[in-house]
Amino acid sequence: MFKPILLESILLIGILVVFFMDLFLPKSKKIISGIFTLFLLLLLILISVTMDTKGLMFANSFVNDSFSITLKQIFLLATAIATLGSISHAERLLKGREGEYYLLLLFSLVGMMVVVSSRELLLLFVGFELMSIPLYVLSGFSKENPRSAEGAIKIFLFGTVSSALLLLGIGIFFAATGTTLWSPFSVLTGLTDPLGTLALIILLSGFGFKIAAFPFQFWVPDTYEGAPTPFVAFLSVAPKIAGFGILFRFLFEALDPLYINWTLYAFWLAALTMIVGNLLALPQKNIKRLLAYSGIAHIGYILLGLASGSQLGLEMSVFYFVAYLFSNMGAFLVVEVVNRSNGSDELDSFKNLSGRSPFLSLAMLVFLLSLGGIPFLVGFWAKLYIFLAAANSGYFSLVFLGALMTVVALFYYLNVARRIYIDKGTDESKPITLPLSLAVSIGICALLVILLGFYPEGIVTFSQKAISSFADSGVLFQNSLHHALSSMGM
Amino acid sequence: MSLYHILFLSFLVFSIGLFGVLSRRHVVGILIGIELMFNAANLAIVGIAWSMGVLTGQIIALFGIAITAAEVAVGLALFLLVERLTNTVYADKIDTMRG
Repeated sequence: MFKPILLESILLIGILVVFFMDLFLPKSKKIISGIFTLFLLLLLILISVTMDTKGLMFANSFVNDSFSITLKQIFLLATAIATLGSISHAERLLKGREGEYYLLLLFSLVGMMVVVSSRELLLLFVGFELMSIPLYVLSGFSKENPRSAEGAIKIFLFGTVSSALLLLGIGIFFAATGTTLWSPFSVLTGLTDPLGTLALIILLSGFGFKIAAFPFQFWVPDTYEGAPTPFVAFLSVAPKIAGFGILFRFLFEALDPLYINWTLYAFWLAALTMIVGNLLALPQKNIKRLLAYSGIAHIGYILLGLASGSQLGLEMSVFYFVAYLFSNMGAFLVVEVVNRSNGSDELDSFKNLSGRSPFLSLAMLVFLLSLGGIPFLVGFWAKLYIFLAAANSGYFSLVFLGALMTVVALFYYLNVARRIYIDKGTDESKPITLPLSLAVSIGICALLVILLGFYPEGIVTFSQKAISSFADSGVLFQNSLHHALSSMGM
Repeated sequence: MSLYHILFLSFLVFSIGLFGVLSRRHVVGILIGIELMFNAANLAIVGIAWSMGVLTGQIIALFGIAITAAEVAVGLALFLLVERLTNTVYADKIDTMRG
């Protein structure tokens, strides 16, 4: 009976356990809560893979279909990698506060799992806030670092303004349609009114903050620079994917493609996000800021999949999520290790890394090449498939722009690689210490980036299964520019 | 009094809030602007539900108020942290990172 909310229920019970554990654990043994969190997440991944939890709950407002299950698996995986990467960081810098750290991480995870399942705007709003508020706290979690506090203020201000916009959007949506519930079968009349259009614009800008698409990306580099690095690995991946999850479900299920055309907005958003992200990454001297801007650029590529508006485009976006998850999280975890020994996130701290730690240098190279889209790593297939989907929908200009921007991206990624392998460091004395937990998480990411690069069919099947639930529930996909142009009367 | 009066008032308050967020220097002033935006949204929702004769809007507004309170609590804690670390509460001073 409670099958559809099984994962969330177990996670909430686990959160309570983490909470009470934190109260009773002595200060020196707080590492146990991290290990417990890790096992809880692995258990949940196991349950989500082996058990069938599909179904509807709460008067059809909560849906667990193969799309939400797939995204939940991605979130669980991202949180597990982030937890594994956080254990040594928390032990070193967040002494005595580790319990809170994992607690907040897990609360944010519950929020993400709720938003990708919701078919009701109030539930979506509550889930959205449950996802966002812990992120504000975690961004400012390094209490001694003024930059962390500054970054937290920025994500907080941008985030709350976007929440206010979202609430207003919900109100106007409610005014236009008379309901806050949607399903693929309901035709929401009233969305074509001016009021409905206003509601859509406001709602989409609210979601745009979360995925950090072009006009809403200002907080990203500052927050990433200040926040604890293993958390940034999580922040750069999971909430973004959750934002896309909301967008996919809302745009494809609630809106009737025959009357409302949003692909043109997505077209421009994708183009501008790609350009801004890639060009602003070029002059960066700090690796976390560089990865922040490159992350914005990757959001642009995923928006390209959304803009193509076809089933193929969505499938390839899910593929991109997986590729981006491993490459980006891995890169941030390497940054964390380098910061451990150098205490700096500047690009120059990577000088002569190859002499100090061959394993780390090789892993970083793999991540950078995968992010840059070099064959045959998983990032290459992700970009190729996204371009394929976009070309299939007739967006040749965007594909050309994307390919051009990939070249720009390669320049700054290889610039980092040059420092690692070619530049001679000024101080070669500092050896790199690699804690076991970080070594394992980086190793897993690197291994998967390489293996999935040779076997992309695995993720293709995985993402096709995710999107099949849309097709099964009767969603009409908007295919392409032809549709967009004809609906504009051109 | 019709729905349009309520919506007009709500948009007016929302705009004042947004203007406050964009123009204020003191972080608490910015927070007050955000509060105004939330309250305007709640007002619009309650007004719309009132004109439809349903209770959905009131429920949404209750959730909205609760969530806003949670956000403000986190926000004030962050402001306190920033004040302690940098001795300033002015938004244009809390801008050390560039690029």
